[in-house]
Amino acid sequence: MPDNTPYMIAAYIIVAVILVGYAVLLYRRTLKP
Amino acid sequence: MLRHAWLVARKDLLVEFRSRTAILSAVVFTILVLLVFNFGRDPTAVAAVDLAPSILWVTFTFAAMLALNRAFHLELENQALDGLLLAPVSRSSIYLGKLIANLAFVATVEAVGLPLFALFFNVRITPVLGPLVLVIALATIGFVAVGTLFSAMTGRTRFAELLLPVLLLPFMLPPLIWAVLATAALLAGRPLSEAGGWLRLLAAFDIVFVTLAFFLFPATVSE
Amino acid sequence: MKILKTGRWITVSGLALLAAVYVRALAFTPVERTQGMAQKIFYIHLPSAIWAEGAMIFVGVASIFFLFLKDARLDRFAEASAEVGLVFCTLVLTTGPIWGKPIWGTWWTWDARLTLTLLLFLMYVGYVLLRGAVTDPGLRARYAAVLGICGMSLVPFVHLSVYMFRTLHPQPIVIKPSAPSLPGEMLTTFLFSFVVFSILYVGFVTQRYALALLRERAEPHA
Repeated sequence: MPDNTPYMIAAYIIVAVILVGYAVLLYRRTLKP
Repeated sequence: MLRHAWLVARKDLLVEFRSRTAILSAVVFTILVLLVFNFGRDPTAVAAVDLAPSILWVTFTFAAMLALNRAFHLELENQALDGLLLAPVSRSSIYLGKLIANLAFVATVEAVGLPLFALFFNVRITPVLGPLVLVIALATIGFVAVGTLFSAMTGRTRFAELLLPVLLLPFMLPPLIWAVLATAALLAGRPLSEAGGWLRLLAAFDIVFVTLAFFLFPATVSE
Repeated sequence: MKILKTGRWITVSGLALLAAVYVRALAFTPVERTQGMAQKIFYIHLPSAIWAEGAMIFVGVASIFFLFLKDARLDRFAEASAEVGLVFCTLVLTTGPIWGKPIWGTWWTWDARLTLTLLLFLMYVGYVLLRGAVTDPGLRARYAAVLGICGMSLVPFVHLSVYMFRTLHPQPIVIKPSAPSLPGEMLTTFLFSFVVFSILYVGFVTQRYALALLRERAEPHA
């Protein structure tokens, strides 16, 4: 199997971005509803 | 309660037959779709029987959507729904009545569409007519049962006409997929047992969702 | 507001632990022989998938209880679980194809599991849109509950289709939820990740619940 590390990195980055992003979004929405 | 349901259905159907516009437009649309699909393919490259199930079901799905979109508009127009709710009729019978009326509408369109489809695409349906009609009936009941329930909710919202298809989509896809697979199996002449699995899923879906809708409908209209 | 603060703390802890999961998955877990590095997507994909579906079940159950008990807290919880479920479902739909491409050679197939996830996503979107489209709060709660119950009821059907497909189509070599077949260290990493994702679910839902509560208090009752 050729090296598929880039896919793994892409997935891990996307998950981090979405989860942290959502946390930030929630934080800001609850500051002033 | 069944009597009440029948009365509600009759009312809807009478209104429909007096004006006839919706059913005519549905039938015309069906013919249009069949024609477009026919001219859109290269007969030497693609056999009709390969595309047939998909074409059939696209047509029937559109007909069902048309019926459902109309379903509550009728009531909403003159606030007739409030009148209906005041009548000494149980909420669930209203649901049954609407369901029957919608089914009758879609069934009519399908009854016209199926022979036309067989004719235009030169597909032999008579050897499998029984099971095929069963598949069509079960799938149609599935969409319309859920659709009738949802149209009661979307009728009063903003973007009602856009919202109904969006809400309905995830509920239409499974019966639609099963129906297409069953139709494909039947038209390809495969043994009946193959279509059997899909038929059982369709039947189970119908039983569950008609029952669910029957019990949930009052929550969408009561105060 | 206590609920909000609790939620924030849980979320922050969850995110910190997520970093630990990343480190463990990438540096301290053996690489799978046939799939290589891409297999590591499993550690973030499966927990997301479990919660994507789990959140919908919670929405459904809360909706059933709401219709009987008419307690606004249940409706707020359903609202929260649906939004969080949508987020987790997005995770599944992004990590799935990224994992599939190097392993199966294609971004997408119509196998039952992927189709279920797509349907789940559409249901969440519909639920959120419905809530947005109904202005009266009482009506909105009831309608959402109806949709939530229907949504939850659909899930078992699509699972049934998985069994049917198994007899007719070959299964792609994908995540097996049967953990026993996973070697020791990989299992530990997976379980660790699952716990962290659960913490995140709780943290997010708590905050989102608080948001719903704040909004209700802000608008004067009609």
